[in-house]
Amino acid sequence: MPGSSPGHEDRKNTDRAEGRLAMRFRRKREIGRAGLRRSLVATIISLIYFFPVLWIILTAFKTHNDALAVPPIFLFEPTLENFVSVFSRAYSKGAEAIDTGFALFFFNSIFTAGTSVLLALIIGTVAAYGFSRYPLKGNETYMFIILTTRMLPPIIVIIPIFLMFRVTGFSGTYHGLILLYAAFNLPFTIWMMKSFFDELPREVEDAARMDGSSEWHVFFRICLPQVKAGIAATAVFGLILTWNEFLFSLLLSGVNTRTVPVAMAQTIGGDIGVRWGLLAAIETLFLIPVVLVTFLLQNQFLRGVTFGTIKR
Amino acid sequence: MATLRLECLRKSYGRVSALNGVDLEVHDGEFFALLGPSAAGKTTTLRAIAGLETLDGGRVLLDGEDLTEVPVRRRNMAMVFQSFALYPHLSTANNLAYPLREAGLPRREIAKRVQETAELLRITHTLKRKPASLSGGEQQRLAIGRAIIRQPRLFLLDEPLTNLDAKLRHAMRAEFKRLHRELKATMIFATPDQLEALSMGQRVGILRDGRIVQIGTADELYLGPRDNFVAQLVGDPPMNLIPATLRRDRNGARLELPFAAIDTARLPSSVEAFQPGTEFLLGIRPHDLRLVGDDRRGIAFEAEIRLAEPQGDITILDLHAGGADLRLVVAEIEGARRTPGETISLAFEPARTRLFMKDSGLALG
Repeated sequence: MPGSSPGHEDRKNTDRAEGRLAMRFRRKREIGRAGLRRSLVATIISLIYFFPVLWIILTAFKTHNDALAVPPIFLFEPTLENFVSVFSRAYSKGAEAIDTGFALFFFNSIFTAGTSVLLALIIGTVAAYGFSRYPLKGNETYMFIILTTRMLPPIIVIIPIFLMFRVTGFSGTYHGLILLYAAFNLPFTIWMMKSFFDELPREVEDAARMDGSSEWHVFFRICLPQVKAGIAATAVFGLILTWNEFLFSLLLSGVNTRTVPVAMAQTIGGDIGVRWGLLAAIETLFLIPVVLVTFLLQNQFLRGVTFGTIKR
Repeated sequence: MATLRLECLRKSYGRVSALNGVDLEVHDGEFFALLGPSAAGKTTTLRAIAGLETLDGGRVLLDGEDLTEVPVRRRNMAMVFQSFALYPHLSTANNLAYPLREAGLPRREIAKRVQETAELLRITHTLKRKPASLSGGEQQRLAIGRAIIRQPRLFLLDEPLTNLDAKLRHAMRAEFKRLHRELKATMIFATPDQLEALSMGQRVGILRDGRIVQIGTADELYLGPRDNFVAQLVGDPPMNLIPATLRRDRNGARLELPFAAIDTARLPSSVEAFQPGTEFLLGIRPHDLRLVGDDRRGIAFEAEIRLAEPQGDITILDLHAGGADLRLVVAEIEGARRTPGETISLAFEPARTRLFMKDSGLALG
């Protein structure tokens, strides 16, 4: 650059680096003082929240007697028998252990939740982009109508949906469940994704148009990559919601399309009473995919949920 | 390269009209500056040329070809936005490569051009970094790089210097002039800063309320403003406009100022056609006022100093004379000797003034 000395930029850079360094030191000191107390409180609170989960995981490794022990015991000899029984067990004393079908149920849960969230994301993202960039006359009204579909408690619509599924032959099928869950996920997917698109600076899209992009490229190459974090956050919310869904799965899934929450409810009972260890084992296994997905998307997810709350 | 013609561009947003018939011709290879206060329609004009705004009326012609209905991506123009509008998810290299990829150039050609452009703008060290980690100047140069990497028919620069600090701005002014010389491209540069417009533009178009008020070179605008708006926009500090009334009596015709009277024969333009009592505004550049000692040529008068604004090499004095406010530019040494409240003697040469109608603001002659 003519007019400014060559050393000028370098000096500016070192200044900035020093500034950053100083800030980091200051931050460290702050953690040293007030941070310690805050961390302690945070740890205690998370322990309280985490205790039930911990209890379930522990119970999953206990024998039936240990699980029922009063007062509860925390030191015991761990066993994997509960996990084995999840997939294969004898239904009465002395009978031969048979397949419980839980492998299939786990697959069903993963498959229906995954596919429906994906479907909702594909439709919802495109729809949200449309609502954000090509507003219709009465755009707000349409957005509100979309939201109202989630205002009704689901149980109110269960009878008509049940009848519709009977008539169309959707009950007990994968595509039936997937479509239903996708429809459930769609409203908040559209709402969340629209707010992410609304946040994007329009001039960047105009710049892409100037650079020769078609409207499709503006969407795929410019807008979509910028809302990656938002997609991750929406996906996690959708997965958790669908993963836990019980009511519709209970009524609309068939023997072969049953999801874990329903199947788990149906294992309660049997000749030795409620098998807490077995239930805990199912729950522990049931936790793993959600934890896994959340951890995998953690970075994106955190950026997603804090989107717009911090100035970039 | 390209000659651009705008014919009566009209655009309104709801009830607010942004462009009220913009007519303009920019010559091939010209560096043209659009100068106007904020909300005058500079950005809208540029966006209309680019095709980013759909017009309510008017035509955009490039080399005689009507572009009005041509989509943005086929117009082959490049724009540097005020906000830079870099692609935040792409590295510097990919930002530069983007227009070339969209044009479908082969990989090797793209890599070569990215390297060349980065070298030209001295941003090679940032090629792998994302825009958020670049300094203001680097972001600015990247935005320019993305515009010049392909050979567009026209460059549109929307206040590209506004977001930079003063020092960098000065350097970038020279940079833009150099780029224009090297690329020999037609460039249109929008700015609210008269200094930028005058120093960079070969010609300057002045926009007011969505209309071009005057087009000319820096000298033409400075010496012959078409109306009081241009007179006050061009030049720093702005031209002094002093209310004046035409009087005629036995002694002849004269223009009465709050602090002096001028024989109409000494004015630069004839006022014979006007009735006595007609009201004018007399424009005097602050640089054309001088402190008088022994030299009493021109029209002399007394004024009281209200405020002194030292600017380093010069000092601007805010004055009050017979009910009118004026500004005067003096050398710093001179200014340092003056204190507010003091009365000083001034003079100006009537031939160097400019007369405007009070009602319409239009200049005479």
